[in-house]
Amino acid sequence: MRHILLLSLLLSSAGLRLSAHHSFAAEYDGLKPVTVTGTVAQLDWRNPHAYIYLDVKNESGAVKSVIVEGHPPNILRRTGWGKDIIKVGESITVEGWASKDGSNRMAGRQVTLPGGNKLYWGPPSQ
Amino acid sequence: MKKLLTVFLFAYLFKLTAWGQPAPAAPLKNAPAKLPRAADGKPDLTGIWQAFGVALFGETGELRPGEGTKSVWGPPVGPAPYRADLAAKVKALASDDRLNPQVQCKMAGVPRITGSVVPFEIIQTPKKIAILYESNHTFRIIPIDKPHPTDMYPAYMGDSVGRWEGDTFVVDVTSFNDVTWLPGPGHFHSEDLHVTERYTLQPDNTIYYEAIMEDPKVLTKPWSYRLILRHTPRDERIMETDCAENNQDPQHIIPAPVP
Repeated sequence: MRHILLLSLLLSSAGLRLSAHHSFAAEYDGLKPVTVTGTVAQLDWRNPHAYIYLDVKNESGAVKSVIVEGHPPNILRRTGWGKDIIKVGESITVEGWASKDGSNRMAGRQVTLPGGNKLYWGPPSQ
Repeated sequence: MKKLLTVFLFAYLFKLTAWGQPAPAAPLKNAPAKLPRAADGKPDLTGIWQAFGVALFGETGELRPGEGTKSVWGPPVGPAPYRADLAAKVKALASDDRLNPQVQCKMAGVPRITGSVVPFEIIQTPKKIAILYESNHTFRIIPIDKPHPTDMYPAYMGDSVGRWEGDTFVVDVTSFNDVTWLPGPGHFHSEDLHVTERYTLQPDNTIYYEAIMEDPKVLTKPWSYRLILRHTPRDERIMETDCAENNQDPQHIIPAPVP
């Protein structure tokens, strides 16, 4: 935890020093945290972002697709991911933030894998 | 009186160097003899480097012993010194990330690319230094002690020529197009942009990087961008990226109100 705090501090002070594909706030609302559990329908392992397409059941049993944006594949590979870590049909839980455009997209931060392990999928909301 | 004048002179000189002006040569912490050196005696810049970022340390924030936690060096750098009549344009560009050249998957330009969250590799020979960036699979080949060509054409990454000034590798970059941004949101520039980069290897095997940006059409004075570059903690390879292969962002970005 201490390390994560330290990293957050350093990143928040990084300001204009670092350059990512787009700013978080351009698409997502850091004040609207979202947690969803669903079944992996598709894993899109491409640039500039990897996406998990998740089938999420609501209380009435209807299935809604949620698109979870994450880091690009190169960063995911360096933070412990591989293409086979999650498979289509498996159940996972994703924590992140809602999109600003009201669509079914979200910024994924952390994924809880079927075995209970957690991996970061995307950046913090900054 | 003489003492007083000397104090004022020092204060004035300090002020000149402390706010966005070119910093003095990067201070070496120990004797230069301890630097890793190439066969020709120049500091050896070879290897995979990255400014502080997610991919470098992993999300656990791991730091290697002896490297500390600093991510920048030198005196503080003030805000980009844009001409007053261009401030509104900078704000307008910054408020709509669809206009960000990197959101449009364009090459990041110099020096913005040095602060990318993915690494780059330096390959050093006595006559040329090549920088292979993972960001958009971009590269620069920098001839040493050669002039710029006379038939230059505006380019995203400009045209680079290098020289050694003591133990610092200095790169003169010119012939830019006006498509890329300087570091920071909305920081557009003109084709007159001129960048001087300085790569100074440190005894702890980091590089103190400085880019001095001059663009009289948009900036009122030179502006500096400083980073500490580190080797990646694991045995890395520069991987392929093709930003445009599935770029869904522009159609989902919500512009912010212009302040």
